[in-house]
Amino acid sequence: MIPALAILLAVSATAAQPVAKVQLPCESHSQDLSPTGTQLAVTCKDNSVYLVEVSDGAGRKVLTSDHPPNTHVYSQDGRWLAAGFSDGTVEVISAHDSTASRQWKAGPHRIDTLYFFPDGKRLFVGPVDSPGTVWELSETPALLATLPADFGGISVCAVSPDGKLMVAAGDDTVLRWYATATWQKTREYRDFLLETFALTFTPDGKSVLAGGADSRISVFDAASGKQVSQLPPETGSSIFYIGLLGDQNRALAVYFDNAGGKPPQALVWDLITAKSVPVTGDAPPTCGAIVKGKLWTCSSDGKMLTISQHE
Amino acid sequence: MTFTRRELLERCAAFGAITLASSIPLSALASAWDEAEKKRTPTPFCELGPFYKRKAPNTSMLRAPGDAGMPLALSGKVYDVRGQIVPEAKIEIWQTDNDGHYDIEGYRYRTLLEPGAEGSYAIESVMPGHYPTRVCQHVHYLVTAPGHKPLITQLYFATDPVFDGDPDKNYTRDPLITSSELVRPVVIKGDPKQITAAVNFDLVLERL
Repeated sequence: MIPALAILLAVSATAAQPVAKVQLPCESHSQDLSPTGTQLAVTCKDNSVYLVEVSDGAGRKVLTSDHPPNTHVYSQDGRWLAAGFSDGTVEVISAHDSTASRQWKAGPHRIDTLYFFPDGKRLFVGPVDSPGTVWELSETPALLATLPADFGGISVCAVSPDGKLMVAAGDDTVLRWYATATWQKTREYRDFLLETFALTFTPDGKSVLAGGADSRISVFDAASGKQVSQLPPETGSSIFYIGLLGDQNRALAVYFDNAGGKPPQALVWDLITAKSVPVTGDAPPTCGAIVKGKLWTCSSDGKMLTISQHE
Repeated sequence: MTFTRRELLERCAAFGAITLASSIPLSALASAWDEAEKKRTPTPFCELGPFYKRKAPNTSMLRAPGDAGMPLALSGKVYDVRGQIVPEAKIEIWQTDNDGHYDIEGYRYRTLLEPGAEGSYAIESVMPGHYPTRVCQHVHYLVTAPGHKPLITQLYFATDPVFDGDPDKNYTRDPLITSSELVRPVVIKGDPKQITAAVNFDLVLERL
């Protein structure tokens, strides 16, 4: 499984401006910062999960240690937290109140990938070694679509900002484009030899950035599905996260070492000049997110957490 | 109404649907059919991992002269769950080198085999090293065939120190191992100057 951005981002401490300090509700070395920067999903040492408000540190336990999730993700507006479990169960929890959560069995296989659509009303669920599924998050979640690969499952997906287009990367190394109105496959790209682990649309929806075991960002025209450029590779590593910073022309890419020996590294790429700036730091932060176009990271000693914003 | 295999054969023979040579009694045919269709359990799934690479070369010799590591001979056959050979199977195999490194840029220790009508495969490799974020030494398999569900799995070695000599009991020490069936016995062959670890790993595909 690909490690979460939260655990492994290594960024500069010198360029960071502290935003907040938060008392953690338990001993924790892994957190997820919500996309709005207002809340943390704190994974405790016993694998239970608390939601903690950044403003006042108020927290509530939402997932218990006797049924720990395999993965979890915030919706893009930060209102929901979805959790996927080893038995194929999915749970969607309100992040800000005690509205009853929705829980259902998406299938028999472990859930490895979850992705909220931009409107927060649909959820992609990716089980290991099985077709991906898309669910309408009504009171009783309804299956909208099943997205197969030639073999294995779907490792990552992204949806255009207007919600009309989805790109999904399969274990079979193929990228597939779907029209979300009909769930018809409209395009596919079969020229990758290695798997893709990170996908994102640019904010204007015109381009798709993909990266994976080939260690480089590939830029696709979202409408035609054609590859328009490739950035230089970082040989010996694989990309597992791509996010757009500020304007549409700078992308943060996070890499893990293929040999498993070195800590992950982050680079900020200028998509126009194809030049990168390494982002280095003293110690790996324990979480990170792109909030309003800027990189936010956390550092913690296990009890107290500091959130910083990077320019 | 259901028939036993013998009854079915008798009825087919009676209605002329099959014609037997006089030297082959129906009982022998039924037994042969039973033997040929010994049911097999599908090989358990074990996940793909991040370093699968398409378009591997077709080669049975993955080991190059001078490569570090104990020589490894892997072999087996591809069956379906009825025990029949799957002649159109394609087997992709990939592993780390002896130092635990996958070749991402090239195709070292990667192959795509087509066993053909015999359903047999055999490769010469080296014992893989321990990949740093994994508990056990392992070899990846992806097996595809028309009309069958793709099989993604991994082979493990009973000699791996992680199992403390008892893989049936200790296989869960690697959380990715889904079944002790994936942990295979290792037979040491050859003379003392050039020993080889031999492992047999049959692959059983489910029909679609």
